[in-house]
Amino acid sequence: MELFERPVAQASGFSYEPGEHESEKASNSYLMSLIALMGGLPLPIINLIATFIFYMGNRNGTHFVRWHCTQALLSQFSLLFMNSFGFWWTVSIVFTDREITSDWIAYVITVILFNVTEFIATIYTAVQTRKGRHVSWWFYGELTDLLCPR
Amino acid sequence: MKLFLKFLLLVALFFASWFVLRQVDWVTLLKVKQMTRTTEEKLGNLFWEMLDQTEDIDHSQEVAGTIDSLLTHLCKANAIDREKIKLHVVDKDMVNAFTLPDAHLVILTGLVNESENEAELLGVIAHELAHVEKNHVMKKLVKEIGLSVLISMTQGGSGETVRQAMQLLTSSAYDRELEREADLTAVDFLIKAEVDPEPFANFLYRLSENEEHIPRQVFWITTHPDSKERAENIINYMKGRDIHKKSILTPEEWGKLKEKTASED
Repeated sequence: MELFERPVAQASGFSYEPGEHESEKASNSYLMSLIALMGGLPLPIINLIATFIFYMGNRNGTHFVRWHCTQALLSQFSLLFMNSFGFWWTVSIVFTDREITSDWIAYVITVILFNVTEFIATIYTAVQTRKGRHVSWWFYGELTDLLCPR
Repeated sequence: MKLFLKFLLLVALFFASWFVLRQVDWVTLLKVKQMTRTTEEKLGNLFWEMLDQTEDIDHSQEVAGTIDSLLTHLCKANAIDREKIKLHVVDKDMVNAFTLPDAHLVILTGLVNESENEAELLGVIAHELAHVEKNHVMKKLVKEIGLSVLISMTQGGSGETVRQAMQLLTSSAYDRELEREADLTAVDFLIKAEVDPEPFANFLYRLSENEEHIPRQVFWITTHPDSKERAENIINYMKGRDIHKKSILTPEEWGKLKEKTASED
């Protein structure tokens, strides 16, 4: 996932420097999705639920916090679909007579690659937002702009 | 619109990655088949050792040797590698036959004694051979027990689990679909081996009809439900097929086999 990092006051449209408290909360939204990603690997829906709960808790927060909670939530959606499919495919192999195929192995590797990319991007974003810097992800950032208009 | 294109690009990137990775034969590369084969081999040995320790195994030429010649005939006619099938004849008064992982085919002498002619016995052997050829045994075990438990069994899992798995293989039915597939494959095997499949259908029908009156434990019928329906399916499947009938054993050999299994029982 390509990242566009911009100083908050310049291109992002945030007309203010987020305070210490805001940066912490925005950063936590990514940490939340990270922890959920690790804890929720066996059941992909857990990631989404955890991030959604955090989003609901902060939906009345400042714009900076809301924006990043939304971006964290949206990024979980695409993972939810690919991980869920992979999860049930794996379950069917372990518990039914379906066999391990090259297709399944290729799918698992693809899903791992996307998860690792997301993982790295999330850590990076969590660190940057903690410093009060705004990080907008390719595609997800623009989608978040639509949902969280400035 | 630009956003939608980006979304499409993201989806395309995912599927393109999957597509590229699919070009690699991972199953061969990671030796998946070899690992599965090793697990099956270990399981087969595990079950067989348990059976060998608890039951009387017949090694006589009159019984085991004769059944072996029937099996060899079936394998030869159907281009099945006879070497891979491990035939065991258990001296036990039960009408039963079953397969264990790694192509262990077990016939109980009670089944031979219950068969009225060699075609009936060949029908049951062909049915079990079909379970082997279609890999039904591992499919059943994986479905009922789970792959992880099976692998742990091969790495020194609990004896109780092995016993339960053994019980599952010897005295419970396969899926209806798997049984049907085994029946119809058995008919194909029999026809190719120039054996009339009708006695096999009769055998199923007769045992299910007389189940209450048969003094022995008719395991093969109780573990293979819907026998009447299955007999009808066999008859329907063989309708219109060109069937050559020939005997594999001489009347003396068959007589000797019956005599031996009757006296053992």
